[in-house]
This record gives sequence, C-alpha cells and structure tokens, in this order.
Amino acid sequence: MENAGFVIAAYGVILGGTALYAAVLLRRLSAACKALLHTRRGAEGTARRDEDT
Amino acid sequence: MSDELRLAWAIARKDALCELRGRQAAGSTLFFAALVLLLFGFALGPDTRRLAEAAPGLLWLAVVFGGLLTVARLHQLEAEDGALDELARYPVERRTIYLGKALAGGMAVIVLGAVLLPVVGVLYGIDLAPAALPLALTVLLGGIGFAAVGTFYAAVTVRMRAREVMLPLLMLPVIAPLLLGAVEATAAALSGDPFGELGAWLQLLAGFDVVMLLAGAAGYGYLLEE
Amino acid sequence: MKTRILGLAAVVALAAASVNALFMVPADLNQGDAQRIMYVHVPSAWLGYLSFGVTALGGLAYLWKHDLRLDALAHAAAEIGVMFTAFAIWGGMMWGQPVWGVMWQWEDPRLTTTALLLALYVGYLLFRRLTDDPRRRASRAAVVGLVAAVDIPIVHFSVEWWRGLHQGPTIGSPERVLDPAAPMQFVIALLTMLAAFTLAWAWLMVRRYQLARIELETEERARLGRISAARRAAPATPAPRAEEGVG
Repeated sequence: MENAGFVIAAYGVILGGTALYAAVLLRRLSAACKALLHTRRGAEGTARRDEDT
Repeated sequence: MSDELRLAWAIARKDALCELRGRQAAGSTLFFAALVLLLFGFALGPDTRRLAEAAPGLLWLAVVFGGLLTVARLHQLEAEDGALDELARYPVERRTIYLGKALAGGMAVIVLGAVLLPVVGVLYGIDLAPAALPLALTVLLGGIGFAAVGTFYAAVTVRMRAREVMLPLLMLPVIAPLLLGAVEATAAALSGDPFGELGAWLQLLAGFDVVMLLAGAAGYGYLLEE
Repeated sequence: MKTRILGLAAVVALAAASVNALFMVPADLNQGDAQRIMYVHVPSAWLGYLSFGVTALGGLAYLWKHDLRLDALAHAAAEIGVMFTAFAIWGGMMWGQPVWGVMWQWEDPRLTTTALLLALYVGYLLFRRLTDDPRRRASRAAVVGLVAAVDIPIVHFSVEWWRGLHQGPTIGSPERVLDPAAPMQFVIALLTMLAAFTLAWAWLMVRRYQLARIELETEERARLGRISAARRAAPATPAPRAEEGVG
C-alpha cells in the first residue's frame, strides 16, 4: 500500500483513540459508581445519627 | 418600543461617559492598540511592501486586541461595584441592557478603528484618502459586530475564574467570519476593489452583525439571572 | 444489558467496515491509497457535528425545561464531540500531506470550519469546568453553546466565499468520495463506516451520559452534605432578650 504510513497513522489514532476513550470511560464510570454508593451510605449513616440526637 | 430604544441609549450614554471619565483606561487601550501596530512593524518589516500587503490583517488584529480589553472593561467596572446586579434588578428587558452595552462597546471599537486607520497609513505607507468611504463603512460594520459578540461574552465571563483568558478564548472563534470579512473588505477598499467584491464582504459583515445582535439579545437574559 | 449489545455491535461493525475499507475496496485512481483515510475522516467529522447539534439542542431544551439531566446530555455530547472533531482534523491532515502535499489548506472550508468547531468545543468545555454552581453552569453553558452553534454556518459560508474569491488551486477535494459519480464500492464502504461509527457514538453517549448523571448526583449530595455539616457545627445561640426576661 502506498502512503501506508499516513493511512496507518489516520486509522490508528482514530480507531485506537476511540478504543482508549471507551476504556477510560468505563473506568471512570465504575469509580464514580463506587464513590456515589459510598456517599449514599455515608448520608444514611449521618441521617441515623441525626435521628438519635 | 421607542421607550426601549431610549433606555438602551441611556445605558449606552452612561457607559460612554464612564469610559471618558474612567481614569484614562480608554486612552491606554488606544495607545496599546497603536503599540501593537508598531510591534507588527518590527515583526514583519522593514520591507514596507510586505507591511502594506499585510496592513488590512494587521489593522484588524490590533482592533481585536484593543476591543477585547474594551468590552471586558465595560462589564468589569460594574461587576466590581455590584452595579451589574443592581442593573439586573431594574424592571428592564434584558435585551435592552444588552443593546445599550453593545451600543457603547460598538462606539468604543469604532473610535478605536478610526484612530488606528491613520496610524496604519503612516506606519505601513498606505494612502487612505481614496478609500475613505468604504474604509469608514468597514470600521462601522466591523465595530458593531465585534461589540455585539464581545458584549455577550464579556457578560458570560465577568465573574469567572481565569476570565482574562476565557473572554478571548470564547470570543475569537466566533468572530472569525467578522475578521475575515473586515480584512477582505479593507483590502478590497485599499486596492481600489479590482474584482468588485467589496459589496459582498460588506454584506457579509452586515449579516453577521444582525445575526449576532439578535443572538446576543436573546441570550443575554440568561446571563444576568442566577 | 442492551448497552452491552450495542457496544458489541459497534465493535464488530467497526472491525468489519475497517477491514473492508483498508483491504477490500480498490484504491482511488487519482488519490491512491490515501483516499482510504476518507473512510475514517468523514465519519469522524459527521460525529463531531452531530455531537455539537446534541450539545446545542440539549442546552436549548435545558433553558426551556430547567432539567439538569438535559445539561448532563449536552455535556456528554460535548466531550465526545471534541474527540471526534480532533480525529477529523487529524484525518484531514493525514490525507492532506500525500494528496495536497501539505497538511493544511486555508481554502478548504470544511477543514477550517472543523478547526473552528474544535476551538468552540474547547471553549465550551473549559467554560463548564470553571463554573461551579450547577444551575448557573447549565444555563450559561447552554447559551454559550447556542451562540457557537449559530456561528458555525456563518463560518462555513464565509470561508467558502473566501476560497471562491481567491481561486486557489484545489487539487481534489476531500469529499470526492461523496461524489454522486463515485463507484458503488466506495459509497458502500463509506456508508458502512458511517453506520459503524454512529453505533460506537451511540454507545459512548449512553455511557458518558450515565457518568454525567452519577457525577451530578455526587455533586448534589456533596453540596447538601456541606450544608448540613455546617448546620450541625454551628452551636445554638440563645436569644438574649428571652434570657433577661426569665432572669
């Protein structure tokens, strides 16, 4: 393939970049999920403490 | 309807008076823009032919730099004193405030352009006299367009962190067509309009002005309310 | 579960369409193998503009309904859109070097408009990051996005005018692959790539929107948590007049 370098550079960055973004997105999603569950449990704990006082 | 215009004019007058009395800030901006033109001379000279060719672009870049400072200042002073919140509480249509401020900004940028034209003439060796009318029209339309966009984004960034960089960052992509039109119109005017394109570029500028004034007026209200 | 199927479908479609575009479709007569880059450049540009449409419309819908979920949608679309727009410019540059001999051409209205789109996106995202209050951020970002959306057709139009007046030597336009006279294989290759990319976009949008919703809730809880913590920390101050009355 002539100009193979440019073709590979184009496909590599575009498809590879999309895949990379997808992977990072999934990681961000799981981290955010965990953080939210943690916050929710923390809020429940505080609410119970508030009821006791 | 005419009440609104009178109100807008009142706001514009107030801003203009602030500019004129405001501790020489307006004058400093004019001087800064002229300084930019001088520096372009160092950057692109000493061949006057090259400078003369680049003159329309350099002129409008200087107007843009000076204009950025101007529109930012017109919102900054009020924001610091809390006057912007006061203004927002008046029973006035938001778009009237916007028109008033855009009018003031427009006048300031037009004055800036008008002052810079002779500076360009002298520094880059260009005879402006034969093109006086089209140049005046270009400065008029360009100034209005810049102020229409600038007034909007100045209100957007007025209380932001990093506002000094956010105003140009948000504004400059939007005024790319204005810059294009103004530079092409200026170049056409100075070269005697060999291809008859001056009218087309002025129309582009006018169209841009109308669209941006409408968009700015429509959106300004959302910027003042919390 | 449905999202996972969508994701899988996107991966399969992209793989198949890419293999087709790279190895099965014949090379262009004039542009050679470099023309294959168009099969990733055009879909990227399409998704960049599509995403911006979602951002602008999401903002408009927010101004109407004041539902922060619409703002979350706009934000998600902007982040994905900026990525595809950057890809589009990269693809354009990789195509430009072998075909034009240069990576950049001022007179190509698509390239310059896309570059400005990138600038508008970056501005929008930076603006969001520097504004803290969620409601203020949502309404202001909506307006910023809308003004930017209004600007894009103006930019495209003016650059086209610019090119027309300067009569530059346009040695082949990047969009020749969209030429109605193009061979069927080219058209099919492009359409399949377009479909595959759009599937991927849909999956990314769903996931990014989910993330935005979670971040929204986390942010809101943190804010409420700070408020209630402040209330608990402040000791009850007895009214002096009442004390004196009793004493």
